[in-house]
Amino acid sequence: MKRVELRVMDMHCTSCALRLQGLEDLLAGVIRVEASYRKGKMTVTFDESKVTVKDLVEGARKLGYTAVE
Amino acid sequence: MAALIAALITGFTTGGLSCMAVQGGLLASSLAQLIEKDLLGKRGGRDQWNIGLPIFLFLISKLAAYTILGGLLGGLGKLFQLDPLSQAVLQFIIAFFIIGNALRMLNVHPLFRYFTFEPPAFITRLIRKKTRQAASFTTPIMLGAMTVLIPCGVTQTMMAAAIATGDVLSGAALMFAFTLGASPVFFLLSYFATKLGALTEKYFTRIAAVVLIVFGLLAVNSGLNLLGSRYSLSRLAENAVSAVEIRHQGQASATPGTDLVLNVVDRGYRPKRLHAPAGVPLTLTLVTKEVHSCSRAFLIPALDYGVILLATGEEKVQIPPQEPGTILPFTCSMGMYSGEIIFDL
Repeated sequence: MKRVELRVMDMHCTSCALRLQGLEDLLAGVIRVEASYRKGKMTVTFDESKVTVKDLVEGARKLGYTAVE
Repeated sequence: MAALIAALITGFTTGGLSCMAVQGGLLASSLAQLIEKDLLGKRGGRDQWNIGLPIFLFLISKLAAYTILGGLLGGLGKLFQLDPLSQAVLQFIIAFFIIGNALRMLNVHPLFRYFTFEPPAFITRLIRKKTRQAASFTTPIMLGAMTVLIPCGVTQTMMAAAIATGDVLSGAALMFAFTLGASPVFFLLSYFATKLGALTEKYFTRIAAVVLIVFGLLAVNSGLNLLGSRYSLSRLAENAVSAVEIRHQGQASATPGTDLVLNVVDRGYRPKRLHAPAGVPLTLTLVTKEVHSCSRAFLIPALDYGVILLATGEEKVQIPPQEPGTILPFTCSMGMYSGEIIFDL
């Protein structure tokens, strides 16, 4: 299990943080997403045998956000 | 009544757009998807009414939740709303909050993100969990009620205004009017969520932010009125207008030994400017006739005088002798309506 913090500066309201939690459904292997609009970042706990950081960035892009490590 | 109409119009013009930008992205879209996927799918076809009904239930639930919230905020305001000075401070805090929120919506600097309420992670998780549950008509009702946990910028402004009413019923009525006004736009945008969602967020949030800045300036104006300042925006505007008007238009004068009469109406005070003799005690008679707005809560900050007038009736205010050239501003308890007595006769 691994934890990574990604910067997401294009969130524009608190609901964006909710949307980013959708990564838990979108990607098998994502265990927990903690996103904060105020801080402009999200912390993702994931199973590195099933998903990579690159997958997380791509998943965020599908949800409409630019995540940067 | 004027405040309720203003809230209704605010809801209709900007509230629905702003709410949609904050709450609609997740909730309404999820709702629409749930409806289409789970409810309509089971019934084997797209039925326009079936799409509309859950959104309608969502909005009814939201309306009820915000009305209750408005009542609670109004009650909270009552606890803190004691004198004109504290009301003025409250207005300045509201203005600071509103303008900060507007600058956040305009994405001026990430620092302004701290002006918004961010629900704790367990609440966002709870909301998201609810959206994933098997669809039923209780789902939109639950989600509608939960929107109180993620209010948009304009809604937060209205919540601050509900506190400023200092009354349970007024607070509830204000939030009811605002949420009701926002509902038609929210409904339409939810209905076409998949097509309009991104567009709404991108452009309409900016419009809402500009409107918020106007509200922020109005709150500053109210605060200055409550302090009895001659430099509030409304008084400066009145002075500018009166400089080019014929002196006696919309004004009234008192001669020594006579009363000053001020008519209190739903939309303020008539006349807005009274002229009075200096150096003698005066009686100001406040006349109301079927008045139901906040203008009934009459204040003269410099005299530390305040009264809640009857809807219909007369109230006499004894004004001690004033120095020549003295200007005595008066206002309603929310700083919305104002006027002044000039001692220059």
